[in-house]
Amino acid sequence: MRLKNKSKTRTAEARKQRLLSLLQKHGVNIYDDLDHGKFPQFVIPSRSVNNIVYDKKIRQYVLGNASAVRSSRNMSQLRSYTQLAWLAFFVNRLVREGKSSTLRDIYYSSQAFSIDFEDQPESDNIIVDLEAVLTSPREEFHIFPEERSSVFGDLTIEYTVPGYEGRRVNLSDHPDGYLIGPSLSSAELVDTSAELVIAIEKGGLFTRFVEEKVHKKFKAIIVDTAGQAPRSTRNLLRRLNSELSLPVVILADGDVYGEHIAMVIKSGSANAAHLRELTVPDAKWLGVWATDIKKYKLPTIPMTEADIKRIYDLQKDPRYQEGNWKKQLEVFLKLKRKAELEAFSKYGLTNITDKYLPAKLEESKSF
Amino acid sequence: MSSNKEVFSQISPSEFFYRNRDLAGFSNPTRSLYTSVREFVENALDACDQKKILPDIHLSIKAVNQEEADPKHYILTVKDNGPGIDPKHVPHAFGTVLYGSKFGLKQARGMFGLGATMAILYGQITTNKPVTVKSCWDGKTLDEFVMLLDIQKNKPIIQKHSTKEVAKTGLSVSIVLEGDYSKAGTKIRDYVSETSLITPYASITFEDPSGEKLHYPRIVKEMPPPPTIIKPHPHGIDVETIRRMIVDTHYQIPTVDDNMIDKVKKELGSQKKHLSAKDILDRAQKRWSDLSRPVRTVIAAMSFLNVDFDGLQKIRIDDIDVANKKITYWDFGQSQSNVVELDPESPYYKQLANTVQGDTLLTFLTKRFQRVGPTTAEKFCEFAKLKPEKRIGSMTNEELVKLADALQKFDDFLAPDPSCLAPLGEEPLSKGIMKFFNPEFASVIQRSASAYSGFPFIVEMGIAYGGDIPPAGMKVYRFANRIPLLYDEGSDVVLKIINEMDWSRYKVKGDPPLVIVSHICSTRIPYKTVGKENVADRPELERELKNALQYLARKLAVHMSRQGMADMAKKRANLYAKYVPLIAQFATELSGKKKEPNYKQLVRMGSEIEEQI
Repeated sequence: MRLKNKSKTRTAEARKQRLLSLLQKHGVNIYDDLDHGKFPQFVIPSRSVNNIVYDKKIRQYVLGNASAVRSSRNMSQLRSYTQLAWLAFFVNRLVREGKSSTLRDIYYSSQAFSIDFEDQPESDNIIVDLEAVLTSPREEFHIFPEERSSVFGDLTIEYTVPGYEGRRVNLSDHPDGYLIGPSLSSAELVDTSAELVIAIEKGGLFTRFVEEKVHKKFKAIIVDTAGQAPRSTRNLLRRLNSELSLPVVILADGDVYGEHIAMVIKSGSANAAHLRELTVPDAKWLGVWATDIKKYKLPTIPMTEADIKRIYDLQKDPRYQEGNWKKQLEVFLKLKRKAELEAFSKYGLTNITDKYLPAKLEESKSF
Repeated sequence: MSSNKEVFSQISPSEFFYRNRDLAGFSNPTRSLYTSVREFVENALDACDQKKILPDIHLSIKAVNQEEADPKHYILTVKDNGPGIDPKHVPHAFGTVLYGSKFGLKQARGMFGLGATMAILYGQITTNKPVTVKSCWDGKTLDEFVMLLDIQKNKPIIQKHSTKEVAKTGLSVSIVLEGDYSKAGTKIRDYVSETSLITPYASITFEDPSGEKLHYPRIVKEMPPPPTIIKPHPHGIDVETIRRMIVDTHYQIPTVDDNMIDKVKKELGSQKKHLSAKDILDRAQKRWSDLSRPVRTVIAAMSFLNVDFDGLQKIRIDDIDVANKKITYWDFGQSQSNVVELDPESPYYKQLANTVQGDTLLTFLTKRFQRVGPTTAEKFCEFAKLKPEKRIGSMTNEELVKLADALQKFDDFLAPDPSCLAPLGEEPLSKGIMKFFNPEFASVIQRSASAYSGFPFIVEMGIAYGGDIPPAGMKVYRFANRIPLLYDEGSDVVLKIINEMDWSRYKVKGDPPLVIVSHICSTRIPYKTVGKENVADRPELERELKNALQYLARKLAVHMSRQGMADMAKKRANLYAKYVPLIAQFATELSGKKKEPNYKQLVRMGSEIEEQI
């Protein structure tokens, strides 16, 4: 049992308190402005393409210094200002009451306060605005997207959601894994015996890994990213890495999208440049690499035009300018073929866990 | 040549129109019904305009047999309160083609004598029913004629003529014709309604075949000033017109017969007395200015022949050769031809010369054209390289062509006289638009007169916005000489100008509740086609339309921005009243306070601050 986390217990609670005090600070500012006959305003870091830059130091995309003022003085901004104020108010309630909500929920909830959003995209945008104002992901506001991924392994968590406060659960108790939902996201990470986190792109392989006892063989926590990892999943991976000091490795399909899934877990996406705490800069991409396709004689399928275009797009991304990332893209482009994780089944169902995974883990020690 | 001419003259105008009725808008039952309505209504309005009578027009279309399917026979009746027509002229006015008085140069709706008679002719061809004309001219007696047209002879055949006592002047024409109201109805209703818009001083009632009465009351009580008949402008004529004008000036040597001699005697006041040649000249001298032209000519000839009336009866004047200064006459007594020298010093020489050779070019120009004075005429002669003292009657064909050509090219003529035009005027147009559309904003403009190719024209335009006008995009009402133009909108110059405008510059966007009324007045509207429904794009006309439209659009823009500012202020006030309390509510809970902040001040400030970027 590693109890490495003892000193940092209740980080979830701490984050919650930080958020609540930040919200209150904004509330007080607005209140005072109103009381003194001043038009209140929010300063929102600009999320325009020009203001998204790659920060080499923290190895993720971040917003530059440009910011926009949304003022209640400007008639054309008054409505969206009020929407933002309402969202802060609503998030405050959610967080205080420990309730969770979805993007769709927010859109409908607004109507109870005569805050009318034209459509859901408009309310979604306001949520992103608030994320930028508070530099916190919406999951901390208890606003979750519909998509969910899961986690399995020896990890004990302690719920903080109402009705479950203090209750602990071990994530290896249920073989299908646990949904990475609001309650898990807000739970404290208490204890683990694991030494590694394996993020895997596909639910099918996740199940296989559980069946093959990968968590035991490799002392691993297995996370199903269900394709491109949702932000709550990325946040969990980061916490596993930073709070429990577990290394994170990533297994994805042998194509350009797989490579980018690994990259996003490692260093974030441009869409979330206004957020921190979503990246695992030390995460390692195990595979499937383009060079693995040949090396392991994997059956392949041809790339589509969209696949190839995506390679060219990524070649412009500053993170793909060097090392293995650059090399693998070039090989993919040369091959013009791709291999899925399931391709290993050609050599038997356990080939991937018995042969490939150990080999790649070994290999990963050198990069 | 001459034999060809004879063949043509044997076809009567009625027959010509009968054969070419498509040209005049009588191609099918739908179009024919519409055209007939137009011709009669326009004649009625023209008649009232001429006599400055506020028009009161009743139009009715009744099916002969309601049950029948279209096309079927309809009775079309148009009644007005105009001056009526002298009963003597009624049979000819309505029973012959090309009879009428509308050939002068002034603005009028239709060409009387063509359209109305065509409608009558069309009715007769399709139904074999006579036309009924009721006319009261003197305000006492109403003459009713029932008649048919003899197409070959171009003569009326009167079937019935009766009279009765009435109290008012007016004219009513009723024909039976084949028509298709189910198809023509919409256009006819549009026509009537648009006519009432451009004729706000008229009261128009339309009773349709279903018995429904559409009444358009008089909106203004004052009539626009009537147009005057004027002389042509030099730019507006061609060789053929000049030739006709010269024939008019070039007086014939009067035929000296008993009637003529009686006329001369009468004008000299000496019917009974016997006068010697000298007496005649003496008397003529005294009364010269009162004498008619033919009488002056006869007396001038007598002075050279040195004869009295008896002597004059015995000879026949064969030729007056001014160039060689000779008169040739035939003496019945002597049975031989004699020649007398003309003395150019004699005062009578000039009289004869004028008669035979017409005016000098200088006089011709100043007398027969509008706005040409002696100075301009002299300048022109210099420009045309023609002698100003040249007798117009003695000009060769080549010289005439040269003259016509130069008249077109000479730039120093004054612009055509617009007094022959009858624009509606800004006030009646504005009142018509207000009453018709009940808009939130309207503006009108009458441009000053301009001209194209010697034809004067005036553009009047109105714009109306909002109010009862539906927001269905721009609607354009086109008029020419107070006639609505309903067909061929797409190719019209007015539409072209409106479409070329950058409306966004005038704050007009999307499908605005906007109406544009355009009225072009001219002695000759440059129609593109025989159908007379679309106006061609002359640069001069385009410029005037554009200026008018820009002026109105600017007015509209001012209104819109005023309106916009008022709307904006209202919107601001509403927005701040709605949102500031909400913000206060959220901030109170968010900050953890109990009492709401005092935000009233901010609501007030919010609605007051100026819009800023």
